[in-house]
Amino acid sequence: MVVSEPSAERYELRDPDVRLMLEVRDDSATAFEELMLRYQNRLVAVLEHLIGARDQAEDLAQEVFLRVYRARKRYVPDAKFSTWLFTIANNVASNARRSRSRRREVNMPAADNSGSTGAFGLDQLALAASGLMPTRQLDKAEMRDIVRLAIESLNERQRMAVLLSKFENMSYVDIGAAMDLSPEAIKSLLSRARLNLKEVLQPYLDRGQSPPAES
Amino acid sequence: MNDTHMPDAERRALDEKLVSYLDGELDAAESSQVEHALAQDARVRRELKQLERCWELLDELPRDEVGEDFTRTTVEMIAVQAEQELADERAELPSRKRKAWLLAAGSFLAAAIAGFIAVGVYSDRENKKLLTDLPVVENLDQYRQVEDIDFLRALRAKDLLPHEPDNAPNP
Repeated sequence: MVVSEPSAERYELRDPDVRLMLEVRDDSATAFEELMLRYQNRLVAVLEHLIGARDQAEDLAQEVFLRVYRARKRYVPDAKFSTWLFTIANNVASNARRSRSRRREVNMPAADNSGSTGAFGLDQLALAASGLMPTRQLDKAEMRDIVRLAIESLNERQRMAVLLSKFENMSYVDIGAAMDLSPEAIKSLLSRARLNLKEVLQPYLDRGQSPPAES
Repeated sequence: MNDTHMPDAERRALDEKLVSYLDGELDAAESSQVEHALAQDARVRRELKQLERCWELLDELPRDEVGEDFTRTTVEMIAVQAEQELADERAELPSRKRKAWLLAAGSFLAAAIAGFIAVGVYSDRENKKLLTDLPVVENLDQYRQVEDIDFLRALRAKDLLPHEPDNAPNP
């Protein structure tokens, strides 16, 4: 993509992280370390909830930083640095998911679909949401599990858009740039995602109750 | 909003607007439309509130900080990458030097050939001229004694001058 000179200058002036990345382009190790420290927690958090596994999220985050370093000589500021970083993160996560699903096809044809790491499965969530299950008061940890499962119930694109919007406060334009979609598509994606989240979470909000723990 | 009588397309459009409104992505006119709908319709107000509360619940998601190991191993990975790039660059250096040398040698050879051809063409032309003028040069002293060009032309017309090549110029 050809970036006009004024556009590149604009990002350089407005975004301190772009300026750091330009120093990285000139082989400044301290600038790279500074960028890494600024983004490592944010990147791992997004990847963890995107992938659903902490260890893998950290591996992928390292892969993202490695790609940033490898691409430094070709770096031209045509967006905010965070947009560029999460574009790479989105690609890395998509590739990881593809290879993981290929491995699953080969190794685990009957894999568990819930991907649950918490106390509840999605089937239990659906049952609880229907109001047919006996209930008790939710504690904070349980609520966290429910929210995590609600996020996992979204498809991959909805999840990425939600995480970038919620965790990174990114605009529709920036999310669109990171996911290679138009702002209109992001608008519709986020709308569907938030309605899906509401469908899962609203019953718990209404009653403040959760399904009983598994015996 | 979840009114079953509301057509799907209309409901979707309103949902999108409410979400965009919460995200601060609407322009002034669209925001004003949403605010009007909120003022008029309790169901829209309830829907907006629910969307907002569910969104706030995402704050419950853990955002643990990475450990020192993560930073250290990432820095090490980058250092390995930097070393690899340096090694690749060094490995490429002799081949780059060889390419530069070959380029210089090729340029020199091309220049030498061009010079040789140019000199050859020029000196050939000079030699031909000398050869053509040879009979005149050989008898120059005699011709000078005549001092009359018309007389010389007359001698030439009668073929009394020493042998000249066919392409000799007229005196």
